Amino acid sequence: MDYQQLAKKIVQRAKKKGAQQAEAFLEVGRQGSVRVHEGQIEDLTQSTSKGVGVRVLVKGRLGFAYTSDFEPAALDHIIDLALKLAGAAAPNKLNGLPSGKDLGRFGDTGLLFDTKVSELPGDWKIKAALEVEKAARAEDSRVVAFNAVGAGDFVSEVYMASTEGMTGAYSGTYVFLYAMPVASDGKGLQTGYWVDYKRFLDDLDSPESIGREATRRAVRMLGAKRVKTQQVPVVLDPLVASNFVSDLAAAANGNAVYQQASVLAPLKGKRLAGPHVTLVDDGLLPRGLATAPFDGEGVPTRRTPILDKGVLSGFLYDAFTARKAKARTTGNASRGYNALPSIGATNLYLEAGTKSPEELLREVDSGFYVTALLGQGTDPVTGELSAGANGLWIEKGELTHPVQEVTVAGNLLQMLQDVDGIGSDLQFRGGSVGAPTVRFRQLTVSGE
Amino acid sequence: MPRASASTRRASAAQLAPPVARGPSSAPLLPQPLVERLLAVAMERGGDFAEVYVERTLTTAVMLEESRIKSAQTGLIQGVGVRVISGAKVGYAYSDDWDEPALVRAASTAAMIAQGGGAERSFPVRRAAVPSHYHVATPLMDVDVALKTGLLSRADKAARAFDARVKQVNASYVDQTRRIAVANTEGRYTEDTQDLCRMAVQVVAQGKNGEQRTGMFGGGGRVSFTHWDTFPPEHVAREAARQAVATLGAVDCAAGPQTVVLAPGWSGILLHEAVGHGLEADFIRKGTSLFAGKLGQKVASDLVTVIDDGTVSSGRGSINIDDEGNPGERKVLIENGVLKNYLYDGLNAKLMNQRTTGSGRRESFKHLPLPRMTNTFLAPGDHAPEDILKEVKRGLYCATFGGGQVDITNGNFVFEVSEAYQIEDGKLGRPVKNAMLIGVGPEALKNVTRVGTDPMPDPGMGVCMKDGQMLPVGVGLPTLRIDNVTVGGTKVA
Repeated sequence: MDYQQLAKKIVQRAKKKGAQQAEAFLEVGRQGSVRVHEGQIEDLTQSTSKGVGVRVLVKGRLGFAYTSDFEPAALDHIIDLALKLAGAAAPNKLNGLPSGKDLGRFGDTGLLFDTKVSELPGDWKIKAALEVEKAARAEDSRVVAFNAVGAGDFVSEVYMASTEGMTGAYSGTYVFLYAMPVASDGKGLQTGYWVDYKRFLDDLDSPESIGREATRRAVRMLGAKRVKTQQVPVVLDPLVASNFVSDLAAAANGNAVYQQASVLAPLKGKRLAGPHVTLVDDGLLPRGLATAPFDGEGVPTRRTPILDKGVLSGFLYDAFTARKAKARTTGNASRGYNALPSIGATNLYLEAGTKSPEELLREVDSGFYVTALLGQGTDPVTGELSAGANGLWIEKGELTHPVQEVTVAGNLLQMLQDVDGIGSDLQFRGGSVGAPTVRFRQLTVSGE
Repeated sequence: MPRASASTRRASAAQLAPPVARGPSSAPLLPQPLVERLLAVAMERGGDFAEVYVERTLTTAVMLEESRIKSAQTGLIQGVGVRVISGAKVGYAYSDDWDEPALVRAASTAAMIAQGGGAERSFPVRRAAVPSHYHVATPLMDVDVALKTGLLSRADKAARAFDARVKQVNASYVDQTRRIAVANTEGRYTEDTQDLCRMAVQVVAQGKNGEQRTGMFGGGGRVSFTHWDTFPPEHVAREAARQAVATLGAVDCAAGPQTVVLAPGWSGILLHEAVGHGLEADFIRKGTSLFAGKLGQKVASDLVTVIDDGTVSSGRGSINIDDEGNPGERKVLIENGVLKNYLYDGLNAKLMNQRTTGSGRRESFKHLPLPRMTNTFLAPGDHAPEDILKEVKRGLYCATFGGGQVDITNGNFVFEVSEAYQIEDGKLGRPVKNAMLIGVGPEALKNVTRVGTDPMPDPGMGVCMKDGQMLPVGVGLPTLRIDNVTVGGTKVA
């Protein structure tokens, strides 16, 4: 089926039925994943999927409907539904699809599609997952079980069309490996998690390295205990630091800012951190998991610095919020076919610093190296963070004993000021949010 | 990608992602001869068991922001999943195309997990009766959307009228009419229609010097739309606004161990995190839960009896059948502190030589079933709630909660307290901010020293996430006192 044509047809049909503006967002994909257990397949899943969402505007009123059924009658039905729902919404003169001036030319995304992934032999996933499991077991005899070990890939295609002249399509590939071994010292159990997730097969860490690192992370937590309640320097490993990065981006969401429901709302242009702190959302990052030529409403993606050398330089917008806030869309409308666009980050990362992670630890006399967090993270309205934390205690620059059942707490704005070290080890570990090792001068660790 | 943790939270006002809907409920979702053909194809390579899962879900969502209905949306998700089990191996394939060739392709793909050849066999199915724990006369998908948007406009007015310090109100209403059919090679065919709705209101209040606090409340269940006559949007909105205003002026929370008293109701997520997930049979079978191998052992204080009950009338987590076609059940998991049972789906039950407890649930046809909770409660005790508070000299009263998360393996759980007060000489003192409880499941439950006489279910807003699958759940708890809980905070004594 020619999906680009189908998207255009849906738009024309909606217009004919009375929509002043209409947009179709269509996704098609196929995916496969496997989990293994004790040298055997545990489960193997394969599928194809598709769906289309139709957004219409009638006299400033917005309606939206979606379906996974592409039969002509079903498509006609959701167009009718979307038009009917527009009748139930309130008119708002700010409603509307992105206009010609917002649409414009797409930037250069580089390659998004790897034929090595799309043409992976059927048993690659199984073999790779079995290798991950084997390496994880071989790394340490204290590994007694696995929460899960797996591999997967998927291919996805996006097609869009709108009455405002938007037309476009892209397709991409994704491949991943992960392991969650469980280690025991006879007294307690600890798990570790390690993953890699890439667009290109050649960028993917080897199955062996995933298995080994997952085991190292589990085993080093054996014997973990609480520490005393105290205020100390806290270092986040890259996996954990990516949560801090996501929390910052959530507070830079243009809608939260417009609603004054973000601690960052009044601070645009202000210095919030040292000049070594730069936070960027980049929809065009080469080989990035979230790289795409256009966002969920057809606007070209781009690079948007949120913190530029420590200064709060920008917020993230979709077209509707930008109109409300008298700003410009930044191409950050994020969505699947079954949801309306809303503001979301693309490839989001904290720029790397110059020091190695070891150097950052070496400078700490007594502190906490956090390797896993539990909880929701920071409240963007108040900036308050309180989270459960697991990790390793730092004494005289060295990692010593494992720590669990404690929390770390602080405030986003204070934490930004307190970032006193950023590692050179920027990585996108299992997602489109990237971070290096990050050190804070001081946070409250709550324990005994 | 799956993580070795699971979490529960209140569905936020912004969270409009799918729940589901249906056609006329008399006709089968998929013709029986086709279902039987798919089972035969699924077994053609000699699997031990095959199952066809059919789902058709219609979701409607409306959202209010800045006192306007921002959007109204509706959508249909439908598909068929075919599962084949061969020994301990599972093959799964699904399709959202309903035409016969696409479905047969899915069945053949799933069949490949078995390596054998084998003659074609036939697997006739018979429709089995299912219990009825919810009665939604008019499917929610057939309720006029104008009535749904009307609820939100009323909530907005009530929240803003509650207090002048209320600055922002976001509200959402989501419902789904989800119809499922499950057929398997044991000859069992079952169907269920699972209507579900939820309203959520989120309020930001502003105090002195730009201080902002949030409040959130919601509710719903497997209920008719008339539910909102007795659980009106004004009630939801005022409670959200009350929380936001009540916490203005909150002081820093003291960090370190404290005695805590939990208000009844939604605080049941503590139970869900601290023990519930750790009793799910997949973790038990693999030996990755700290509760593995502890049946019959003391894992909690004598005062603790934990029940998971899928049969609660109209409950958000209730199920007439689970997503493997087995009836929802009431299970006593911990009785007077002793571990009695785990939560089993069909596959783990079989591999562990046990009986399924009707706990095999899945988010949609795109997912494999996993052992999951339904409505999880702590049985009431015999202490008057007001006495429980009175006895505490110094501690923390946890009135409302955000969400929680657990690491099943080491048992560490967290529990976010969105409205908390210092307790001084048995009375509530100042509100504190940014509090969080952390503990290790069994240790925390051994420190339960008082259980109130006031059991209370949550109002119907829980969302549980495991292995990337989101499900509606219910929780419940009477007033509870736990000693020596680590409280995360910013203030060091």
